[in-house]
Amino acid sequence: MSDTDPSPTALRARGIDQAFADVEVLTDVDLTVDRGEVAAIVGPNGSGKSTLLRILAGVSPADDGTVAVPVEGGARSLGYLPQRPAFRGGFTARDTLAWYASFLDGVDADDVDATLDRVGLTGVGDRAVGSLSGGMTRLLGLGQAVLGDPAALILDEPGSGLDPAMVERLFAVVGELADDGTGVAVASHELPAVEAHAETVHVLDQGDFVRSGSPEALLEETETASLSAAFRSIVRPEGTASTVSAGVGRDASGVTDDE
Amino acid sequence: MNEGDDGAATAREEGGVTETVVTRIFLSVDQTGSDLLVVATRELRTIARTPALLALSAAFVVSVAGVAWAGTGGGGGFVPLTLDLLTFVEVLVPLLAVAFGYRSILGDRETGELDVLRTFDVSRTAYVGGVYLGRALALVSLILGTLLAVGLLVPFLTADIPTFLAINAAADSGVRYVRFVALAAGFTLTVLAATVAISAAARTARTAFALAAALAAALVLGIDTALVAGLAGGVIPESGLPTLLALSPNSAFRSLVLSTAVGVLGGAEVAAGNPLANAIGLGLWWLGSLGIAVWQVWPAVDNRDGE
Repeated sequence: MSDTDPSPTALRARGIDQAFADVEVLTDVDLTVDRGEVAAIVGPNGSGKSTLLRILAGVSPADDGTVAVPVEGGARSLGYLPQRPAFRGGFTARDTLAWYASFLDGVDADDVDATLDRVGLTGVGDRAVGSLSGGMTRLLGLGQAVLGDPAALILDEPGSGLDPAMVERLFAVVGELADDGTGVAVASHELPAVEAHAETVHVLDQGDFVRSGSPEALLEETETASLSAAFRSIVRPEGTASTVSAGVGRDASGVTDDE
Repeated sequence: MNEGDDGAATAREEGGVTETVVTRIFLSVDQTGSDLLVVATRELRTIARTPALLALSAAFVVSVAGVAWAGTGGGGGFVPLTLDLLTFVEVLVPLLAVAFGYRSILGDRETGELDVLRTFDVSRTAYVGGVYLGRALALVSLILGTLLAVGLLVPFLTADIPTFLAINAAADSGVRYVRFVALAAGFTLTVLAATVAISAAARTARTAFALAAALAAALVLGIDTALVAGLAGGVIPESGLPTLLALSPNSAFRSLVLSTAVGVLGGAEVAAGNPLANAIGLGLWWLGSLGIAVWQVWPAVDNRDGE
């Protein structure tokens, strides 16, 4: 590869371990996301998706393991959308993005307007963030995540609690970002949207990925007709009614409550 | 390449490495300063858009003006005004600092913006420094502006002192009052730093409020009461009192005002501890509080590689 070619890998995690008290939430997790790839991480509640994403985003330290992101002189190497994004009141959507843009070299007011347009918020750019709907707030969160064109995007439940149209709109934006060369790691329970937009699906359960592959491959392997059915087949063995995981340890106390 | 050439190449290489390290340090400091100002600007805008803080500020201005107008101070000279305002400032500044600071960092933690900011490579020093600078600029401007404004009333309210600023240390003078105002600014900066540290360390609004209220109560009443009780009970020797007073921001501030801004009362020198120890005490509270805030605001993550 020449010096000017960007690395084909947007994000690479190796040997991620994380425990809370005596509960092992993640055990030796490996993940690689290439540029242009939408990698979905699905799993039961409490399986450690948010914990993994926070480690990938550099927000939480892992007990062990490494996370590598490309450093190629861009304004930013990684963007992160938390599970429940919120913003300081008293500012407009445009003010908010402009403030975040102030931390990035070479990102100016035109880029802020272009980002508002990209996530479909141009019409409400001058509205106070407190008056935005839940869906619009998530789109604004996505806007801050894509500022500076990071090589990797980490999105934690971007469609949670949104109506189907808004979920589709949000995943469509994610797909467009991937088409432009961004590598996306997205945790989601919106399995129809995942099936439509993700190139790779990683099923996280009991602290590690129990299946990884394209949606089509998972359907074929589980002999099911939808990703939802495949998910139930993989993470809920016969006779088990619950899809709520509590880690591998004896006690669920200490597991983050935002899973 | 002969040995000499090799040595020269090594020297050039070492020089290059040194230059690179220096350049990186310079860029890092420059970036931290730039990010710090971006954060500080948002804090100032936030305060300007928070009606509760504006109302509290207005109440402070009215209260100080009322003390100056109704007390003996405004009509009695600068030193009487200082003595009138001293206790007032000691009580109100911690309360204002709590109001201005206790949600400053906690608010960003609650919205999740602390996590988001870290993906913009904002350092802990830049973030905490910016929050503190923005809040401090607003609060210190309020305290300084109000105290200086009522000080300007003294020449008009007082019939028997000259309407120029005396520079004789023995006289009741505007210079002494300016010292009081400067010390009040230092006291404000110290107490605000402690409040910002609480805001950085607390994980819930309830914890932050409880800690901030406990801090204000300790500063205004608790520490002095404990010292008096210790003295009365014989636990604290009288000789150790000046040092212990320096450990309390309120006592240190009060002592500094009495020794440098009041100085002489009724012809007798005011015995108010050791000014240097008191200044060091305030400085340690300031530095320690900001250090705790930087340490606590978010954990260091060192398992990141660039490729």
